[in-house]
Amino acid sequence: MNKYLYDGTPEGLVSAIGAILESGDDPEKTVLGIRQDTLFEEGLFLRTDSAFAEALFGRLRQRAPDAVQTLWYFTMAETSELETSLLRYIALAFEHGDRVNGYLTHPDVKAVVAIARKAGRELHRMKGLLRFEQLRDGSWLARMEPDHNVIQPLARHFSRRLRAQEWFIYDARRHSAAHWNGHALSFGNLEQFSRPKLSPEERVVQQHWQTFFKTIAIPERKNPRLQQSNMPAKYWKYLTEKQGE
Amino acid sequence: MELQEKITILSGAARYDASCASSGSSREGSACGVGNTSQGGICHSWSDDGRCISLLKILLSNDCRYDCAYCVNRSSNPVPRASFTAREVVDLTMEFYRRNYIEGLFLSSAVNVSPDHTMEEMVRVAEILRNEERFGGYIHLKIIPGSSDELVRRAGLAADRISVNIELPSHESLQRLAPQKKKEAILAPMKLIGTEAGVSLVERRKSRKAPRFAPAGQSTQMIIGASPETDLQILQLSQGLYRKMNLKRVYYSAFVPVNEDNRLPVLSAPPLLREHRLYQADWLLRFYGFSPEEILSDDAPNLDESFDPKTAWALRHPEFFPVEINRADYATLLRVPGIGVVSAKRIIAARRFAPVTHEGMKKIGVVMKRAKYFITCSGRPFDKIDQQPARLRQRLLLGDGSEQKQPRQLVLPGLFA
Ligand code: SF4
Repeated sequence: MNKYLYDGTPEGLVSAIGAILESGDDPEKTVLGIRQDTLFEEGLFLRTDSAFAEALFGRLRQRAPDAVQTLWYFTMAETSELETSLLRYIALAFEHGDRVNGYLTHPDVKAVVAIARKAGRELHRMKGLLRFEQLRDGSWLARMEPDHNVIQPLARHFSRRLRAQEWFIYDARRHSAAHWNGHALSFGNLEQFSRPKLSPEERVVQQHWQTFFKTIAIPERKNPRLQQSNMPAKYWKYLTEKQGE
Repeated sequence: MELQEKITILSGAARYDASCASSGSSREGSACGVGNTSQGGICHSWSDDGRCISLLKILLSNDCRYDCAYCVNRSSNPVPRASFTAREVVDLTMEFYRRNYIEGLFLSSAVNVSPDHTMEEMVRVAEILRNEERFGGYIHLKIIPGSSDELVRRAGLAADRISVNIELPSHESLQRLAPQKKKEAILAPMKLIGTEAGVSLVERRKSRKAPRFAPAGQSTQMIIGASPETDLQILQLSQGLYRKMNLKRVYYSAFVPVNEDNRLPVLSAPPLLREHRLYQADWLLRFYGFSPEEILSDDAPNLDESFDPKTAWALRHPEFFPVEINRADYATLLRVPGIGVVSAKRIIAARRFAPVTHEGMKKIGVVMKRAKYFITCSGRPFDKIDQQPARLRQRLLLGDGSEQKQPRQLVLPGLFA
């Protein structure tokens, strides 16, 4: 086994993977991990090189666009400890192109694809579960605390869907925000967040929605377990229909 | 009447409708408009009965002139009545959509003055949404049987999906339980929709500017267990609808007795499991290349309640098995119990790299507790394959507790036009 270490940043990860692929080592016989700075740590440290990392992404996009998509979801998961799997996944993507995503019987491919799918699923879920509230100035705000860092693709989705209204999406876990001004998207971090006042009609519409939510269920068929398995309770905090329960 | 109260009455009356899908139509939003649709559909919430909410599902009115035996809204029932104005439905849809509560609108109605009068109001809702509000989200309209061709055409041009409920699986049952509805009044608009949708597809192949007619297709709904038809008859009817009428989807709803009526059967509980099996069998028709006659026969015309229909088929056809996972083609893989469309595709993708093993099958997501009796991987069976159907039935039943549980697909009485 060849052992390598990197500094723990996403860029460091990608440039380390690039360096290993260039070195000609067999990825199946190589492991990669974060440097812990303990004495006698085994493995060769690879320095971070952003330009190199970017070039690697570019080449992979040419060779396997779907794999880049998977990689993109994988990074939304903000996971660590799967560096070696990712290394092998990318090596296979260079070798086989997009067919790599079908190689689910390979444990490393399976691990990477599974995490990417989880992040992808949450992104899809948030497209449905995000709730906008109208503010006093007529703009709209949606708050969320997703497990994965999905704000960028989520904001892009709403920039197509709700393009005639000005809105903000706030990720309370990461203190990040997206803003759509009717024409363009921007992203940023918020040091402080205080919830602005709602428009006077907002409560009325919310009540209409709560009424609808309550009466659309078939009373003889209450099934809270099924409801929770589809809509886990961790999302309820910001769901209009689940307020006051 | 307060809007709040109308919502209570008219969404309460709509809750028994089975269809909730918002998929099958993709539309880019326009620069000044609100909303788009996405091909896969999006669920926005899950109600207390566990069903997905993706549309504002509501009746325009529950004030019905008709008196169908199985329906909560029939004229002889003493229930509170309400009707929305077109504007009220439009405003609710827009307010909900802007807050991302819904993908769009599902609008149905009781027959409150005449079929054309009600249909005209419903079409107006869709047209105001599209033309005045520039609404780009999903719209599903229920056609009132007996509406004029002209209104059906307008509905198809404004909506993503339109549907006519067939309600009961035969002419005789319809006559008995819904005497004011005529078979022709149901089939004629269905046929018209099928034709118009076909024409629009051809036109749009020539020019992207040609108008879209119900781009998400038409569906229908049938009540199961209020009348004596067999599952074979029901599946044959569905197959005919898919083939001849260009239907996208048939929904089945287990009959729930809501009225006292001596024309109706006395059931201790709605036939939920039967409905679940019909959904599974319908799936086999649409995606697995089965015919109704393969699934059922004249001497066994009803679905087996203990097994899903594919397992039941496999048990009757031992000569087809075992299937070799690393050689079988797609259509053959699809016939193996426990292997679905997704896992069949994954098997084919994975075996390009290396032969698929039993372990690999699990990683791919195959339901091994069913599949293991019917396959070999590179010649190796999972364990001893028992070719004796009686013993196999036993093992499948004992080994597979999930089949005994309540069906997961939620089941709905379908109660209105
Ligand atoms: S099924 Fe439709 S037409 Fe018949 S009573 Fe109910 S609402 Fe009226």
